[in-house]
Amino acid sequence: MRQWLLAAGVMILSAGCSESNEGQFPRENISIIIPYGPGGGFDTTVRVFAPYFAAQLGDQVNVLPQNMPGTGGRRGTASVFRADPDGYTLGILNMPGLVLPSILGETVDYDLRQMSWIGRIESQDFVLLVQADSDIHSIEDLQAQDRITFVSIGYGATVLAAIQIIAEQLGLMNRDPIFLTGYEGTTDQLVALVRGDGNATLSPVSTALQYIESGNLRPIAVTGENRSSVLADVPTFVELGYPDLSQLNVQRLLAGPPGLDSAIMALLRDAFLRAIDDPEFKSAAATAQMDVAPLDGELAAVEVDANFNFYEKFKSNLANPN
Amino acid sequence: MFEPLITAIMFLFSDGLNFFYLILGVSVGILFGIIPGLGGVTAIALLLPLTFGMSPEQALILMGGVMGAVSAGGAVTAILLNTPGTAPNAATCFDGYPLTQQGKAGLAIGAAASASAIGGTFGLFILVLVLPIAKTIVLWFGPPAFFMLALLGLTSLTVSSGNMLRGLIAGCLGLFVGFVGYDEIGGTARYTGGSDYLWNGLSIVPVLIGLFAIAEMISLFVKGGTITTQGSQSSIRFSDTIQGVKATLKNYKIVMCGSGIGALIGAIPGVGGVVASFMSYSFASQITKDNENFGKGDIRGVIASESANNAKDGGGLIPTLAFGVPGSAEMAVFLGVLILHGLNPGPLLLIEREYTIFVLILTLLGATILSAVFICIAAFYLVRIAYIDSSILIPSVISVSLVGAYAVNNTLGDVFTAAFFGLLGYLMIRFDYPRITLIIALVLCSLMERNYTQSMIMFQGDWTGFFRDNTAVVLLLCSVVALSIPAFQSIRKKKGYG
Repeated sequence: MRQWLLAAGVMILSAGCSESNEGQFPRENISIIIPYGPGGGFDTTVRVFAPYFAAQLGDQVNVLPQNMPGTGGRRGTASVFRADPDGYTLGILNMPGLVLPSILGETVDYDLRQMSWIGRIESQDFVLLVQADSDIHSIEDLQAQDRITFVSIGYGATVLAAIQIIAEQLGLMNRDPIFLTGYEGTTDQLVALVRGDGNATLSPVSTALQYIESGNLRPIAVTGENRSSVLADVPTFVELGYPDLSQLNVQRLLAGPPGLDSAIMALLRDAFLRAIDDPEFKSAAATAQMDVAPLDGELAAVEVDANFNFYEKFKSNLANPN
Repeated sequence: MFEPLITAIMFLFSDGLNFFYLILGVSVGILFGIIPGLGGVTAIALLLPLTFGMSPEQALILMGGVMGAVSAGGAVTAILLNTPGTAPNAATCFDGYPLTQQGKAGLAIGAAASASAIGGTFGLFILVLVLPIAKTIVLWFGPPAFFMLALLGLTSLTVSSGNMLRGLIAGCLGLFVGFVGYDEIGGTARYTGGSDYLWNGLSIVPVLIGLFAIAEMISLFVKGGTITTQGSQSSIRFSDTIQGVKATLKNYKIVMCGSGIGALIGAIPGVGGVVASFMSYSFASQITKDNENFGKGDIRGVIASESANNAKDGGGLIPTLAFGVPGSAEMAVFLGVLILHGLNPGPLLLIEREYTIFVLILTLLGATILSAVFICIAAFYLVRIAYIDSSILIPSVISVSLVGAYAVNNTLGDVFTAAFFGLLGYLMIRFDYPRITLIIALVLCSLMERNYTQSMIMFQGDWTGFFRDNTAVVLLLCSVVALSIPAFQSIRKKKGYG
């Protein structure tokens, strides 16, 4: 009993010692809030990245992924927004997924433009797809179709907004296309297209790749400034004369609450850049088929503003089609 | 096909660590299955970081161990406490708990464990058979077919409820609860009262914990004493469990039917095991002779439900592996594990990593059998729960269940949901409304609504489109047959008496 008391006393004292060591951030574990459930893309990103990020922050701390699903990601994001700006609570945020609700007129409990951006981990470009045995081979073929049915995830999802913007830019809206929404995820959409529920869809390149390689789906065009390295013979929308569409993508960014102390912010941004450059992280990310596209904190913040402006511009096209 | 199989077997035996991971997975799986609220999702998510340093195959062994064992663990709670450990065990309560009240818990656990093992093996066998044509099967099911399938699920409910009117009321209540939340197609939040908590709708686990675990504890509190008054702790015999295993072997036809239904329903993404085990149960209760005792402690009810319950895992892997479309919440987390280890599920995985898939299949087989053996051995001790005084049992079960409810989404709201449905569940017991009907309607509600709306968008408002979808027509015919069975039976009976 006495030994236990002694041990407890030593522990309290040692805790007090480290407490007095002010300024040595980080002193405790850092959690990264994932606003979605375990098993999804955001979850994988954090779980792969966290150990390498922790290694750059010193030997004493761990970086703990914490799933907080609900309200389409808004619950988790709001809790990052409201967290103490001490650097111990960060979040992996979805752009434009979390930009869209306020553009679509929902009230949200956070403001992305006030967040303290640590950096961007991933960015995925989209590819416009049709069935492999379809007679659509190009944008022109699509524009000549009598009946266009897009299969998509439900209202509020990035993919649907991107499809709506593409349909508007390609001049398809006067053909009265059908938006068959309500699929639960990107893969569901792809399977629905293979099955023939509709005749076109949009998906992140990396998710669609397998279906293209297996000969089920045919790529028509990709978003982004440059051609995708894995789909080198597929033209970009920019090449085809639709420069606005280059900005359609999904990005995964690391952020802290507004008002993060500048010293802590600098430390986190520095650790972020070193972790994302770690060859071991790169190989782990390649195994998990992540689309790593690093961007430092300042550029990430610029990207967030650009995103707001872009979707604000197309706001009138984004009403629920059903 | 045989070459990768042999490579997989060689891999399993090449390292003793593989068996350690299997046993670890199975033990965690059984434990998480037994505790209401904790299930495969939590277990896999918690074990995920452990797999970082492992090879993809070793990670699959650990996770496969969990998945193969969870539902067998969940049956134990269903039998002993009338509380399904995981949602798909709900149908096991019908006859499992009455058997416990009669002092035959050992028999029921033995039957459940052995039916699980055989059903699980059968499900995997079907998986291996259909893997080459998995793609075709998944492509049969578009929105019209899913709608008809949900309809079939609801049909089998009304048929098997003892009192049809009360069954319908409970079913409508389930549908109503299912409508709460954001409607992705319409783009509006329904019945949420502006609350963020209700935005995603009510999750199934806290509702289940309330309706069963908490309601059952309230009911036990009102009654007092112990769960069973038959016999005593000293009368527990290991031979009871063996009798249960024998009962399963004797009723091999029910096991086969249940496994078939389980594998089939499991293969259809989104429907889940609750429907599979319930359909198997209601099918068995209708086609067997001397079926008066179903619901009052017929061992065949336990066998039918549990054989389907484990067979569904084999079927559930078909859409997961062939397309990366998870059949259930558990499969969704498992999918994350696969991706993290560079095994990208989809059309190419089946061709490129045949050997890895056989490792998974063999692991699931091992886990299914191992978990049955573990549970049969543990049954001797577990059965004592039926003789524990309620003053000790009730607080333990309630605190564990509420923690389980909280753990699903780390939301306090789920604890209140569990408490609310606990009271509702008690009232339903008291006034004899079927609780399972509510649960199944809740599970099927969003599936049914979404696919109906999608079908109508596809057909541009022309409902005759349902008749142009072959799978939908077949499923509709099944519903018609299911509805007419009781009518035929009553006509036959009248003729017999007249």
